[in-house]
Amino acid sequence: MSVCRNINTKDCFVMTGKMALPNQYFAGRVGSKFIISLRDAKKILGVKCPKCGLVYVPPREYCEKDLEKLDQDQNWVELGNEGVITNFTIVNYNDKHLPRRAPYVLALIKVEGADTPFAHIVEGIESEHMKIGMRVKAVFAEQTTHTILDIDHFEPIRA
Amino acid sequence: MAEYYGSKVVDIFNTMPVRFKPDGVKGVDVTIGYDILGEGGGTWVVTIKDAALKVEKIAGDLPKCSVVMTADAEAFVGGALGKIDPGEAFASGKIKVAGDIIILGNVLPKAFEKFTPIVRARAIVESMVERFRPEKAEGVDLKIGYDLSGEDGGAWTAIVKDGTCTVKEGLDPDCTVTMRMVSEVFVGLNLGKIDPAAAFGSGQVKIEGDMMAAGATAKLFKKFEVAGAEEKQGEELISLKCIPSIRHRFATGSHMGKWFKGLKEKKFYATQCPVCGRTQIPPREVCAVCRVRCDEFIEVGPKGTVTMIDTVYYASPDPLTGKVRQTPYAALFLVMDGSTPSESFAHELNPKDLDRIESGMKVRPVWAKERTGSYRDLLYFEIDD
Repeated sequence: MSVCRNINTKDCFVMTGKMALPNQYFAGRVGSKFIISLRDAKKILGVKCPKCGLVYVPPREYCEKDLEKLDQDQNWVELGNEGVITNFTIVNYNDKHLPRRAPYVLALIKVEGADTPFAHIVEGIESEHMKIGMRVKAVFAEQTTHTILDIDHFEPIRA
Repeated sequence: MAEYYGSKVVDIFNTMPVRFKPDGVKGVDVTIGYDILGEGGGTWVVTIKDAALKVEKIAGDLPKCSVVMTADAEAFVGGALGKIDPGEAFASGKIKVAGDIIILGNVLPKAFEKFTPIVRARAIVESMVERFRPEKAEGVDLKIGYDLSGEDGGAWTAIVKDGTCTVKEGLDPDCTVTMRMVSEVFVGLNLGKIDPAAAFGSGQVKIEGDMMAAGATAKLFKKFEVAGAEEKQGEELISLKCIPSIRHRFATGSHMGKWFKGLKEKKFYATQCPVCGRTQIPPREVCAVCRVRCDEFIEVGPKGTVTMIDTVYYASPDPLTGKVRQTPYAALFLVMDGSTPSESFAHELNPKDLDRIESGMKVRPVWAKERTGSYRDLLYFEIDD
């Protein structure tokens, strides 16, 4: 490297190693109910704020607008397994933590009955054919991972 | 019949219809054969088809099944209760499976609620000794007989005297009061599933002897509680554990290489800016004020003056070892001898000096015996007196 030309590097050295980071993720009561429903009933659940009527998915414990507590049984609503693409991006790089090999489509999907979209993978379509407003449906995973990936991906609904 | 961990083999089969979850087995069509060996064992066939369940006890050989489990009775009950590890039971041959083994892992958990032990009259009567409330029994002298019919029945006498309670098998001939009923009714009453007034009024419970004493017994004992009942009512919660491992590679670069070599030789190197003259420790390649390269090294220290003390009481784990550090400990900010006063260097204080350390004090480094060219070559600083 030209920038290092005049530098004395005789004392330089490199250290390599491996760090283990024990990690625990707790989905919470609300998150657990959401995932268990995906896993066992293959149904997407949301919560509806009794005050403003907004339906959140993934469900959350409090409404961000009027701070209503949302986790009571009567606020849970079953949503459709089909939805509309509200936005999308093409992931063009590979990394260990990513759920697919690049390139793949990551989209924001608003399922029927929901007011908030959530991000998921869209498969079965070339990225250049992706359009906002397109209808897609959930394809559930055969093996549970106890995560949002219990929906394996969404795929376009052919007209 | 033989009990294992307080439950019988038949309990598991008898409770299947109650534990069955039709929603979990849509489109499933399987027959599962069970050959349970040992005392209390037998042969059962469980059929799940069209979201319906059939449990049959079979005499003789098993018919053709999708999967057959052959198990030692104790291992079978223990497995259902989660008392023994199924993996170990398989490995030791106490549970054997022939046929489509996937069914056991995939279908069964979806088809049935987890088995929880059946509460029996004996357990309730025997727990009376523990549930007894001596503070409510001052001056009470009672013999309460329980004559319970049915498969899980029996006869017991609870004796309350001098602030103690004992339970013995069989009916005492001179019981103050004797209650007769089917054992299931007795269990139902104790679990709060049967209303006592209704049970008495309908003749399900017959009381002989002192009726007043019968009414008074309830307050002498704490309510019977099913062990593990909270688990049964508790909702499933999801918690995921993982240990990501991250590879790291640290290259010293020219200046930090020099710094670590210095530590190995018990020396502190700083860079000096050719423009403003300030020193930087540990050395840095660029003066961030003047934006020029700093390739001139000077030796500073080894002693320094404390400018600030940061005492830590919160026990956080060391990210490199996972060990939790001893608290309290203190980080020192020092101006090393020969440094420009704006540039402080941070390191640890010898814990023995925690009580005495003050800003402005002079400190000296304490070096490790074996030095390898790392931060650990320097153990800590201590008061230089």
